[in-house]
Amino acid sequence: MRLYHLGHVSWLESQLIYHTQPRLGMESLNILAPREPYVCIGYHQDLAQEVDVSYCREHSIPIFRREVGGGAVYLDGNQIFYQLILHKDNPLAQGDKAAFYQRLLEPVAKAYGDLGVPARYRPVNDVITLEGRKISGTGAAEIGDYLVLVGNLIADFDYETMSRVLRVPDEKYRDKVFKSMRENLTTLKREAGRALEWDEMVTPLLRRFEGVLGPLESAELPKAVYEQVKALKPQFLSEEWLYKRGKKLPGREVKIASDVHIVQRVHKAPGGLLRATVELKGDRLASVSLSGDFFCYPQDAVGDLEAALEYASLGQVADVVAYFYATHKIETPGVAPEDWQKVLGA
Amino acid sequence: MTIIDRFEFPDELYYTKEHVWARIDGNVMTIGLSQFGQELAGQIVYVEVPRVGRKVAKGEPFMSMESGKWVGRIKSPVGGTIVAANEEIEWECTLVNQEPYGKGWLAKIEATTLDDLKDLLRANSPEFAALIAAERAKYKK
Repeated sequence: MRLYHLGHVSWLESQLIYHTQPRLGMESLNILAPREPYVCIGYHQDLAQEVDVSYCREHSIPIFRREVGGGAVYLDGNQIFYQLILHKDNPLAQGDKAAFYQRLLEPVAKAYGDLGVPARYRPVNDVITLEGRKISGTGAAEIGDYLVLVGNLIADFDYETMSRVLRVPDEKYRDKVFKSMRENLTTLKREAGRALEWDEMVTPLLRRFEGVLGPLESAELPKAVYEQVKALKPQFLSEEWLYKRGKKLPGREVKIASDVHIVQRVHKAPGGLLRATVELKGDRLASVSLSGDFFCYPQDAVGDLEAALEYASLGQVADVVAYFYATHKIETPGVAPEDWQKVLGA
Repeated sequence: MTIIDRFEFPDELYYTKEHVWARIDGNVMTIGLSQFGQELAGQIVYVEVPRVGRKVAKGEPFMSMESGKWVGRIKSPVGGTIVAANEEIEWECTLVNQEPYGKGWLAKIEATTLDDLKDLLRANSPEFAALIAAERAKYKK
């Protein structure tokens, strides 16, 4: 397997290089990081819905739509990327998606272990610490006859800018995204208690990949790749590509980790508009914030209802709300228990 | 109906080697992902529905779907023009998993020529049985 160990490259090259390799029929492993920070959205995402484009433009943060799946992320030089391009007939590409991810993400988890940060692969495509925090991002795509797997070692992470570049309905929601990311996404620096050097991180990663991919032959990136990068630029930088129609969701949902989501839903009840912002862990409401323009007496009952709902599973919401109404002297004209179920997605 | 282990393949359909099925009505083909194909895809979280009127080439990807942060492409079994797309699956993509031969259909393509059919497989043919056997071994299904 050819290894292109490229160090820091321009933000655009950090994306376009691996988009060229399947087109050029090159099986490869790239190791690189972007010199400049940028925002990268998933192939099927709706840019305007996911990213605060005005903020990014005002702060000269470029935006890129990749051909790989997953969500919007803020990427910078503190994340070291591996990009693996395999022909679909390569024995390493055999098996279903779960087998493919497991085969190639277990070496990443082991590399974290080598760095003193024990981690494990969690199906389908997560690498998490023993405490269950996400410590690597991953995505894959079929491009032509090739499978592309991209992921990273997170040396450090700018949680604040990440939560700032996302489009959110309000600042309360942004705060929840920030706090949830701090809690559920960690970094080598946080776990190891110090900043690690490039070689220190890359050496075990390459050794672990070699165990699966076989010997890695370091090579210079061929001229043809740079020519193809140049050829792909206009398409990938076009407004048409960036604003390509994507997945539109009612409400707003930000995925923090595979089983952690910050969700905001709005529901129009006869008595007014209800808005719920929740942190979902699996199917449990880890935190709940309710607001809207409905009438509630006593006013602080909404806070009590939020507290009653915390840690309930979605399947328990109906019972919790019914019990709350039965045991509290609460009046919400035109807002029935079923309306809370709807706005909570239960 | 041809049944191979737990996988069902309606006999009246044509199949590609990439697990796309085609139902023929005149020169219009309704296409979808076979039950085997949707299982390989896993839990689908989004389907990018193609634009009606778009020209498609045989064997070329013309739409995509996502599962587990994995973007997979669907290749057209024939050359032609998309005359209908299943808008429902853009909102209810679980239909592709749940009803692959019914409400989970993907698109309708008006074929330029029905000659392309000769390259497709029938469920009750030995070639198809061999393909599914090889694919089951490859994907451990």
